[in-house]
Amino acid sequence: MVEQPLQRNQPGMIDDAKINAPRRMSEPPFVRRLLIAVALGFIALFLVVPLVSVFAEALRQGLGFYFQTLRDPMTVSAIELTLIAAGISVPLNCLFGVAAAWTIAKFDFPGKNILLTLIDLPFSISPVISGMIYVLIFGAQGWFGPWLIEHNIRIIFAVPGIVLATMFVTFPFVARELIPLMQAQGRTEEEAARVLGANGWQTFWRVTLPNIKWGLLYGVILCNARAMGEFGAVSVVSGRIQGQTNTIPLHVQILYENNNIPGAFAVASLLTLLALVTLALKTWVEYNTTGLRGTAFTPLPLKKEPNRKLA
Amino acid sequence: MSVEVKNVTKKFGNFTALDNVNLKVESGELVALLGPSGSGKTTLLRVVAGLEFPDAGNAQVLFYGEDVTTIPASQRKAGFAFQHYALFRHLNVFENIAFGLRVRPKLKRPGEEKIRARVGELLKLIQLEPLAKRFPSQLSGGQRQRVALARALAVEPKVLLLDEPFGALDAKVRRELRRWLRKLHDEIHITTLFVTHDQEEALEVADRVAILRDGRIEQIGTPEEIYDNPATPFVYDFLGNVNLFSGRVREGTVIIGETEFAVEETAGETDTDAVAFVRPHDIRITREANGQKTFPARILRCNAAGPLANLELERLDGGGNFAAQLSKEEFQQLQPKAGEQVFVELKNVKIFSDDFSI
Repeated sequence: MVEQPLQRNQPGMIDDAKINAPRRMSEPPFVRRLLIAVALGFIALFLVVPLVSVFAEALRQGLGFYFQTLRDPMTVSAIELTLIAAGISVPLNCLFGVAAAWTIAKFDFPGKNILLTLIDLPFSISPVISGMIYVLIFGAQGWFGPWLIEHNIRIIFAVPGIVLATMFVTFPFVARELIPLMQAQGRTEEEAARVLGANGWQTFWRVTLPNIKWGLLYGVILCNARAMGEFGAVSVVSGRIQGQTNTIPLHVQILYENNNIPGAFAVASLLTLLALVTLALKTWVEYNTTGLRGTAFTPLPLKKEPNRKLA
Repeated sequence: MSVEVKNVTKKFGNFTALDNVNLKVESGELVALLGPSGSGKTTLLRVVAGLEFPDAGNAQVLFYGEDVTTIPASQRKAGFAFQHYALFRHLNVFENIAFGLRVRPKLKRPGEEKIRARVGELLKLIQLEPLAKRFPSQLSGGQRQRVALARALAVEPKVLLLDEPFGALDAKVRRELRRWLRKLHDEIHITTLFVTHDQEEALEVADRVAILRDGRIEQIGTPEEIYDNPATPFVYDFLGNVNLFSGRVREGTVIIGETEFAVEETAGETDTDAVAFVRPHDIRITREANGQKTFPARILRCNAAGPLANLELERLDGGGNFAAQLSKEEFQQLQPKAGEQVFVELKNVKIFSDDFSI
């Protein structure tokens, strides 16, 4: 039996769309130029100018002031708290996201649609409300407030509250990323692994996880960006005690309110850098999943991107 | 010594996928499960593999006498090739085939050298040695199917289960691969159960064919048995094209229009309405009646492409259209033209008197 191995660009492969795309559009050149100019102008005005201005303002008083602001104990404390909040909520949401996506994509059970809707809840309510929920539950006047005070446990206006609020807001990112991916991949590879004698654990580590790793990474990157940049929910539960319950976005706000504009921009530049790094990572992950490596049958669905670039 | 399924019923909600199915596959036998989509053939295969469990009752799945009804798929030692191959897309051909060996419990896991040797053997068997380092996405459909087969064989399964093994391939590759499968089976003699909706494939490859309909096995037998002696109109229809002529049965004959034709066997009824089944190649066409038992018809269309010529005809007594098949020689001798009137003779007429429905 002689069969030629499939090369790229054969039917069913990803490059099809590119080949079939029309080479020339029918609009006259000046229309095309005008449209391009409008688009570029828009991007310059609303994205590039603010981005440049953040760094320009941050460095207005010189590099010395810039690094002095970043070395300020209050700033360092805000950075630490942000790292703690993201460091706890991202891994936990990652675990939860994989578990939820696995459950939803690979099994049928009653209440599946309700679970799917609940996962989206943090996306659909305002972050301020998310913070309020925790104040209502754990605050001094809240449901568990008296009991918590009695046992000397602080959640609201303390680090646990910030972590909880961050977790709530970033809850859907990983799960939302993985569910469509795992649903598209189906169950047959796992079934194949089981018939071949693999137990549940082996099936997960050897088949499921390798298949979702890029989607998972993508979700984690978005989740992390949001966790570090979250303002609304955290602002409600934090109480903004400088040096104790201040995260980077809250610290920027405080510096700004105290008329320390260059300081505010200096700290904001950290979040801007985070956004740029996130974008770069995201592009890299997309590059790895859209078939340029030759292993992707199911490229990631391109979705709206809910994280904010600037705090 | 066999793989046996006893009293298996499986319902999905209100849908009965399997309705009290019994099936015995002898050791080393190659059995095809043939049926239209929704007939339960894939469900039956999955029940044997342990990917579905039969509904409560006295259902049993036996592998060589051992009751495996409640044993999960991972411990049944069945080899399963999925319809769309389900190769591990992140592993290359070699690692795909080695998977079943690598996930064995530590004590039973062969060493790296043994794994290499075993995978090498299988790669040779499927004639894909040079492609060991390729990923599934870099293989053609036929190559993927062969890798899936090798992967299933690597664990030395007690039974090999193939779900529409050639379903997603084009006609030419399909024919090559099914000949290859038959040859492979003759070499390694593994008890095999395979699902197909293609009657030609089932009749060509299998030792025995089980025909399923609505979750029941309608008939099981060797390809000759079921083709020559279909037990029900459904089987008759499913195994090839067929013409239906309504008429009346009377003592070993069937009267169609005004002509009597001999019937191979009748259930003993006399003078009842019945439907006569005739294969297109059992229809003879002549220009003259010649005193033979014939009825007149008009040719509507002729198609002589390929080794056989296909004709569509219309009964002149208003009994409807039917199809006939002539060999190339017969066709050239007769030179029929569309619109022409001819006489039709029926051979091998089969009657199913109690159940006309297909």
